[in-house]
Amino acid sequence: MGESAARSVDERWKGLRNALSGQFCASLGSLDEQRTTSPELTFRPEGSLPQWGTTHQLRHGTLPSEHVCTENLTPFLKLLPCKSLTGIASLLNPHRLFDADWHGLGVHVRYLENEGIEVRLSFQSVFDPVRYSNGRRDWSLRSVFDRVIDRSCPIAHSSEIRVAIPKEETAVAITPDSYTTHAGFVYFNVSNASKPLDISMSWPDEQKFEYATVSSAVPLTHVSVRRTLKGSSQSRGRLSVSITNHMPITIQTSYLESMPWLLQFYLHSLQIYSNGVSRDDLISIVSYIPSVPHVRPTLFQAILTLPPKSTLHLSMDVIKPFLRYTEHPPDAQRGWDLPPAVLVPLLHSNSSTLDPGLSNPPSGFEQLRLPRRMYTPVLLVDLATPDFSMPYNVIIMSCTLIALIFGMVFNLLTRKFTLIRVSPEPK
Amino acid sequence: MDFGLVYPALVAGRLLLAFAPLPDALKHDHQLSSPLTSYPRLQEGVYLFQHGIDPYSGGLFRHSPLLLSLFSTALPLNKFTSACLWTACDAISAWALVKIWRARQRVSQSSRDSLIAAIYLLNPYLLLPTLALSTSTIENMLFLLSLMFASQGQSSPSLLALALLVQLSLPSAIFIVPMILLLLSDPVSRLASPREFNTYLSSILAKLGTFLGFSFALTSLSVLVCGNWTWVEQTWGAAVMLPDLTPNPGLWWYFFTEMFDHFRPFFLMVFSAHLLIYVLPVCLKFQHDILYATYILAGVYATFKPYPTLSDPGLFISLISLFPETYQYLRYPIVTTLLHLHSALLLPLFHHLWLSQGTGNANFFYASTLVFGVSNGAALLDAIWAGLRIAVGNLPEGYELIQK
Repeated sequence: MGESAARSVDERWKGLRNALSGQFCASLGSLDEQRTTSPELTFRPEGSLPQWGTTHQLRHGTLPSEHVCTENLTPFLKLLPCKSLTGIASLLNPHRLFDADWHGLGVHVRYLENEGIEVRLSFQSVFDPVRYSNGRRDWSLRSVFDRVIDRSCPIAHSSEIRVAIPKEETAVAITPDSYTTHAGFVYFNVSNASKPLDISMSWPDEQKFEYATVSSAVPLTHVSVRRTLKGSSQSRGRLSVSITNHMPITIQTSYLESMPWLLQFYLHSLQIYSNGVSRDDLISIVSYIPSVPHVRPTLFQAILTLPPKSTLHLSMDVIKPFLRYTEHPPDAQRGWDLPPAVLVPLLHSNSSTLDPGLSNPPSGFEQLRLPRRMYTPVLLVDLATPDFSMPYNVIIMSCTLIALIFGMVFNLLTRKFTLIRVSPEPK
Repeated sequence: MDFGLVYPALVAGRLLLAFAPLPDALKHDHQLSSPLTSYPRLQEGVYLFQHGIDPYSGGLFRHSPLLLSLFSTALPLNKFTSACLWTACDAISAWALVKIWRARQRVSQSSRDSLIAAIYLLNPYLLLPTLALSTSTIENMLFLLSLMFASQGQSSPSLLALALLVQLSLPSAIFIVPMILLLLSDPVSRLASPREFNTYLSSILAKLGTFLGFSFALTSLSVLVCGNWTWVEQTWGAAVMLPDLTPNPGLWWYFFTEMFDHFRPFFLMVFSAHLLIYVLPVCLKFQHDILYATYILAGVYATFKPYPTLSDPGLFISLISLFPETYQYLRYPIVTTLLHLHSALLLPLFHHLWLSQGTGNANFFYASTLVFGVSNGAALLDAIWAGLRIAVGNLPEGYELIQK
């Protein structure tokens, strides 16, 4: 902290997001006060907090309409010591990465006591090999990334690729053979492996991949969420969240909505239904900070109790405000993106496994694979727009009407009635 | 028809209608309730208050803390009590209107009583906002109660009702001056024979002092309920700063939607001052009949208020029943009636086309609010003309009437 360092937390938050925005070429600078909240239940500190003698404050912002692209990947890769020339990072081919079904870029900075500051850069994407090949799910680094690893990064402490073995009983062939197996995973040490390294996995007995039907598919996560905005009117709607618990035990999850003031909640209309029965005991609202138009977003944190093998439906009336002419974005008819809701599953207290939300999960998997945080997809809300071609016309027409009425009232109030003779006096 | 039969029948009919299964969309309709009077917002504010969250910290709740305390303690808000309370407000308003008429005619009952009650209770501009549970019904009731007590010469109840009204809705401060002047004169019709208003400044100041005392007490009560002063910016401040641009049948919302930020403060000042400049001239011109001046100012209030609903012109139209002597001097009553009918049919239609169906845009609804403004303005102008013309009386042969 130099002498010119900003004093208040908000000023430092602004400095941080502007610095990140410049570093990663993302418009993170627009995470201003209208998108920043402080959801302390959902986002617990990871690592340790330095003991400075003051209380710590949390700042959280979301920018749902910003998409990650090559422009963000390039400065991200420049932060790596070997950049994207050698090592596993050389696989990151933007053409393939941003063509994937899902991709995400993450920068995690933690302070660990006795160790210092740890920076973890992560890039995640979900590929569908069936889409690239002709219906077969065989994949290799060449087929997925269109690249292979030619050299490992010489200054990396460890460079490891971990491949999960599918749980079904079909035969799977993995090449090359230089791997170690542990607990359902296959580990390749990139520094020792023969180069160029092209890992591939194939199903020799399978001709064509058969997609499982929805009814027979095993849910990939133990908790699944769907959030929708119902209603066709541009003045109000209904926010509806359905959370399904596939596990045979009760789960508690914290639910966070940090909604910008573009959608205002009617909290008194909150309804919870579990399997068709109204159950108000399944929600306990921890904090609610209502939104102030043009100033701050809504913060809604609650703890939901999900009964085993059931679906919880949460719905609430919302109203859509009417924005000023200057507040609409250039493509006003598209609508506004609303940030995702965040669910953090916590285990029920009489379970013996650790609460995965609090501590760093070990690199293997526990027997109950609960996600640390779940984000629902982004919603789009369309707000009523005024006619953008009409400011002058509206002003003159309204002012004309008011001036006319005023003028005529003024006329009547200030002039006197007089009788004048029009016909000549009768003689 | 006997007032004693008609009035309970109308009230009972209203009560039955209030308990009928009405569509829920009525409560959210923008013509019937504004952000300052909407029932779902009242429910939300009471809910937040009961759960320990300050309802004025957000931008949703804009009702007065007095209503907040009433509905969170004494009267719980559910379907049964709301229907009864809102019907009772309308019944009291109609009864107050009849008492004003009787005070003006100086009779204890007359044959027109049931007609006046019916004009108030069957007016669709007043019926629909009551069914939508808009708190503008409570505001109308307070206004008519204040006017009734002023007509009967009871200054304390009248000024208390007026102070409560100003607490609920700041623009109704334009009624302070005519109400005080009415307390110092009487409501008897003198439109036909104007004369000067004789009173002492000290009596005006005494009544003003009473009103300010009541206002101060109610403001302190509101601060006590809330614990801080944030309610002032959310309730009274809303009428001046116009933070919420929800459509309504008035002239302000679209004007300030399309306004650039640079000019906002100036035009907010102009529109607010515009509402105030009518008070003194109207009271001076109609000093011989202050009740008529109040009626004119009710018309000004309905046309130029920041967040009007249909109940404000409804009040103005129902008050016309008190002045039958002006009917023969109205120049274009048919035009005004047809304009009102025209805009009353277009307003909900274009609102639906814009917001629910999406096939129209905001200009449709804006144009219908302009027509509504024209119709209110036409009614106002005709009322002023008739009130002045009645003083001239029948024109003798060969004479023409001009204004100079």
